[in-house]
Amino acid sequence: MKLILFYLRKLLAVVRNEVLVLPSRVAVIIFFLFILLLPSFTDDVYILRVFTLTCIFAIFAASWDLLCGFTGQLNFGHALFFGVGAYSAALMNIHWQLAPWFSIPLGALVAVAAGLTVGIPALRLKGTYLALTTMAFPIIVIGLIFTFPGFTGGELGISGIQKLAPTRIEEYYVISILMLVLCTIMWKITDSNTGIIFHAIREDEIAVRASGVNTTRYKLLAFCLSGFFAGLAGGLYAHFMRIVGPSTLDVSLSFQVVIWSIFGGAATIYGPVAAVFFLYPTLELFHLIQDYRTIVFAIVVLLVLIFMPDGLFRWLREKVEEECPRCKVRNVAWRKTCRVCTASLE
Amino acid sequence: MSQSFLEVKGLTKKFGGLTAVNDATFSMERHQIIGLIGPNGAGKTTLLRLMTGILKPDSGSVRFMGQEMAGKNTWDIVNKGMVSTFQNMRPFRRLPIIANVMVACLCPRALKRGEWVKKIEAKAMDALEFAGISDMAKENASILSQGDLKRLEVARAIATEPELLLLDEPFGGLSPAETDLMAKSIKRLHKGGRFGRLHSEGPAMIIVEHKLHWLMMIATRIIVLSFGTIIADGTPDEIIKNPTVIEAYLGQGGN
Ligand SMILES: Nc1ncnc2c1ncn2[C@@H]1O[C@H](COP(=O)(O)OP(=O)(O)OP(=O)(O)O)[C@@H](O)[C@H]1O
Ligand SMILES: [Mg+2]
Repeated sequence: MKLILFYLRKLLAVVRNEVLVLPSRVAVIIFFLFILLLPSFTDDVYILRVFTLTCIFAIFAASWDLLCGFTGQLNFGHALFFGVGAYSAALMNIHWQLAPWFSIPLGALVAVAAGLTVGIPALRLKGTYLALTTMAFPIIVIGLIFTFPGFTGGELGISGIQKLAPTRIEEYYVISILMLVLCTIMWKITDSNTGIIFHAIREDEIAVRASGVNTTRYKLLAFCLSGFFAGLAGGLYAHFMRIVGPSTLDVSLSFQVVIWSIFGGAATIYGPVAAVFFLYPTLELFHLIQDYRTIVFAIVVLLVLIFMPDGLFRWLREKVEEECPRCKVRNVAWRKTCRVCTASLE
Repeated sequence: MSQSFLEVKGLTKKFGGLTAVNDATFSMERHQIIGLIGPNGAGKTTLLRLMTGILKPDSGSVRFMGQEMAGKNTWDIVNKGMVSTFQNMRPFRRLPIIANVMVACLCPRALKRGEWVKKIEAKAMDALEFAGISDMAKENASILSQGDLKRLEVARAIATEPELLLLDEPFGGLSPAETDLMAKSIKRLHKGGRFGRLHSEGPAMIIVEHKLHWLMMIATRIIVLSFGTIIADGTPDEIIKNPTVIEAYLGQGGN
């Protein structure tokens, strides 16, 4: 009993000293709790469905950020990885009767292969040229799908895919927990030594080479990682929707992910994820005013981009937190002295 | 000794009609510090870029420690032990200064040689300390002055633990006092005893510099380039008296 109390007190101390000191950390904790507790507030099938899709697109947006926000390899055809992951998982499930636990990861591996395919032109092309080239890839795959309708379902897509889990709540839990895990992994990657090299490649690729780092390898790695996570999102989508069509490769999906990421703040991982959780459910839940929602959406996004070019959530974070000029630790904006080195924050 | 440390033969590079480097041929020994001088636009930077693979030569060869370098990737050349700084500094502006150097510490060569240091950060910090900008390690590189960017270039280059270090105007933008410090650090680096190489000598160097006064203090040998061609090669004393060199400089309006 005493031992439990001891650990409980220790946990409380950690929460007080490490979490409650920074609004961004509190926000992350609240976000995790919200995700995990949502089904206990509501068992409305529609709301659960919206939030399940939100989780899938959050993984997708974070994977774009990993590649484009961090490594600077502009990909305007990111739906390629999503669609390839979704179609591969669906085909393996339908034709080979593979269970979701196999079809989704295997589909993601096919998306990695797609990542390599796009990565190779990216070794030579930069900026706008790369962006235009990447746009072509999903269109090519759509062309292939229409060419072999017997195998791929053509325009109608593939239906009758196996359910991910028996109930909506279970499906929600599988996907939402995966989302939390995958996004944490992506954030960890960007925070690692590899992440530093990704960042540096975006800043100045020649200088990275001149520092002895094989940029070809790291760029391909970024494409593969991004393809893998986006492919997982696609596979989850296939088994959740139980139907996959050419819309998973659509240009609008590719643009959507760019808008989400820039809206939330590129090169942060948390920004795109938060943006999806803000924009996607709002847009869905406003389906009553169907006629206006796209235009309202466009105006909101434009306003954010004009007034907060670094993204909404990074802007918010800058407002409530500031860096100590001496030790670079982040502090709540209303503190007068740094919480670690007690330097003045005026 | 069967082969020399560095052997450059017939290296040539044309930009359109302009021959930036014309049939450059020289060799150097492991213990040397060479000063590479010449009027503006003589092709000094181009020569260094050809050696480190940032530019591909039209013809010629660069043999470094017994291996051909011409045509190889820059990162392969750096991992063989030849690294260069950029004259027009190229920092990763939105990364902290320490992360700028950590990139170089993460190259295979540095990783292999840095086993005795526990952390990449600690090693990057060492390099920054050497260059004299360790107190700003956590700031973004975008805040650095021109002179400090020069030092960051040097820190990043030595973090790859080179055998041959090519410095392109390391004193540019530094005040006389700072230049003095930097010159001393470079000499100290050459003697060895820092940078993961406690038991071996420091790197050989080729230094491009317009501040001849300081260069003459460090370099044991000077190569003079004019219009892409090597016009003189000798000890500092010989070079100062060489009439062709004096004319090349005076012809440009003096220096
Ligand atoms: N990428 C390029 N394309 C075309 N011409 C170039 C290029 N790089 C250099 N040049 C030209 O080649 C010549 C040699 O330039 P380089 O930069 O090597 O001279 P430098 O000796 O380093 O001069 P400085 O002392 O001013 O640094 C110059 O005339 C320059 O204009
Ligand atoms: Mg130059």
